[in-house]
Amino acid sequence: MRLTNPRAEVLGPRRHRGELVLASVLGFCILILSAQAPARSRRGSVLQSWILSAAAPLASAVSALSRTVSSGAESLQSLWQAQSENERLKRELAGKNRELFELRAQASQRSEDERLLAASAALPNLRGAAAVLLVENRAGFQSAVIGAGSAQGVVAGCPIAVAEGLVGRVVTVGHAVSRAQLLVDASAAAGARISRTGELGVVRGDGRGGLHLNNIPTTSTVAAGDLIESAGIDGIYPRGVPIGRVTSVGRGSLFLEIRVAPAVRFSQLTDVLVLAPSPAIVDGLEGARSGRP
Amino acid sequence: MKLGRIALLLAAATALQFFVGGSPHRAVWPVDFFLLATGMVARGGDFVRAVLVGGVVGIVEDALNHDLIGMNAFAKAALGYGLAFLSIRVMFGGPWAVGGALAAASLVNDLIVAVLGSLLLQAPIVLFSREALWRAVATGASGGVLEAARLFPWREWWERRRLRRLR
Repeated sequence: MRLTNPRAEVLGPRRHRGELVLASVLGFCILILSAQAPARSRRGSVLQSWILSAAAPLASAVSALSRTVSSGAESLQSLWQAQSENERLKRELAGKNRELFELRAQASQRSEDERLLAASAALPNLRGAAAVLLVENRAGFQSAVIGAGSAQGVVAGCPIAVAEGLVGRVVTVGHAVSRAQLLVDASAAAGARISRTGELGVVRGDGRGGLHLNNIPTTSTVAAGDLIESAGIDGIYPRGVPIGRVTSVGRGSLFLEIRVAPAVRFSQLTDVLVLAPSPAIVDGLEGARSGRP
Repeated sequence: MKLGRIALLLAAATALQFFVGGSPHRAVWPVDFFLLATGMVARGGDFVRAVLVGGVVGIVEDALNHDLIGMNAFAKAALGYGLAFLSIRVMFGGPWAVGGALAAASLVNDLIVAVLGSLLLQAPIVLFSREALWRAVATGASGGVLEAARLFPWREWWERRRLRRLR
C-alpha cells in the first residue's frame, strides 16, 4: 500500500519551483547579510569588496580611458595654446622686426640728414635736400633726376652738392622732380681753384667719371693730392666747395694736363643738397620773367 | 606681341629703370631696361611695333636724362628695326645670339647718341667707356637669360616633376 498525499500530487509539479524560490530567497538573504557583514580585514563590507573587485578592471579601464582622453584634451589644448601662442609670438616678432627695420631706416636717414646738415654749414644758401631718383650715364652724358622741383623752390641753375663736394647743377625743373647735369658730364665745366696755390682754372668732366683741370700754366707747382675746389667765378657754383683731388699732372705745350678724381662717388649718390642759385642766374630769371633783356 | 602686353612691358621697363637707377648700387648691374623692352618686342618680328616701342621708350629716356628729346628715341627706333630684322631674316637664335645682339645694340645705342650729341649739342664724343661696356654686358646677359627662360620647356619640366613626385 502506497501512502500518497493528494495535495502533494496536486502540488507536485510546482514543488521544485518553491525550492527554487526558497533557494533564491535564501541566497539573496545570505547575500544581503554577507554584504552587511564586515570583511576580514575590516576594510569595508564584502559586497563593497566584491563590487569593488568586480568593478576594478572596468574602473581602471574607464579611468585609464578618461585619463587618456583628458591627457589628449590637455595635449590638444596645449597644442592649440602653443599654436596660438606661436602665432601671436610670430606676429609680435614680425611687428618687432618691422619696427626694427623702420627704426634702422629712420636712423640711417637721420644719420644721412645729419651728415648732409653738417655739410650744409660749409655750403652756402642751402635750399634743402632731395633724393636722387635716377642716375644716367650714356655716351658721355651724365645726368641725375632728383626728387625736388619748383614746388620746393628749385630753379634751373641751382647747384647741387653733397657733404663730400660738388655734384652738378639743375638744368630742367619740373613741379616735383628736376634733372641735373653732373659735373662729370662731358659737357659740364666749372670754375676751379687749386686750394694750396690759389691758382684758377676750369674743371671739365670727361664723360667717363673723371675730371680734367684746364688752364693751369706750366709754371704752377700743383702736385698729385692737391685739393681742387670751386672758385665761384663761373656765375653758377658757389666758392669753396670741394671738387676733387689731383691724381696726375702732365706737361702740355702751354698748360698742364691735370687729371682730377672727383670728391663725390657719383655712382652711389642717394641724396643731394640743393643750393640757392647764384645772383647772376636769379637776375637772369627775373629778367626773363619781366621781359627785359 | 599684343598691345596690352606692350603697354605692360613699357610700364615695367620704366619702373625697373627707376628702381635700379635710384639705388646706390646702380652700377653693379646697369641693365638698359628700355633696350630690353625694345628687343623683346622686336623678337616678335613686327617691324612697326618694334620701331614704335623703341621710339616711345627712347622718348621716355630722353625726357628723363637728356637736354634734347629724340636722341635715344632715334637710336632705339633704329635698333628696334634692326633687331626685328635680325629676328626674321637671320638664321640664328638662342640665348647667346640674343645676348650678343643686345650687347651690340647697347653699344650702337651709345654710338648713335654720341654722334647726335656731337652734331646737335657740340658735346664731346665719349665712346666705349667702362660704364658703357659694363652696361652692354649686363644688358646682353640679362637678355640672354630672358631668352633662355622663354625657350625653356617649362610645361614638360613641370610635368616630369609632377610625375616624379607621384612615383
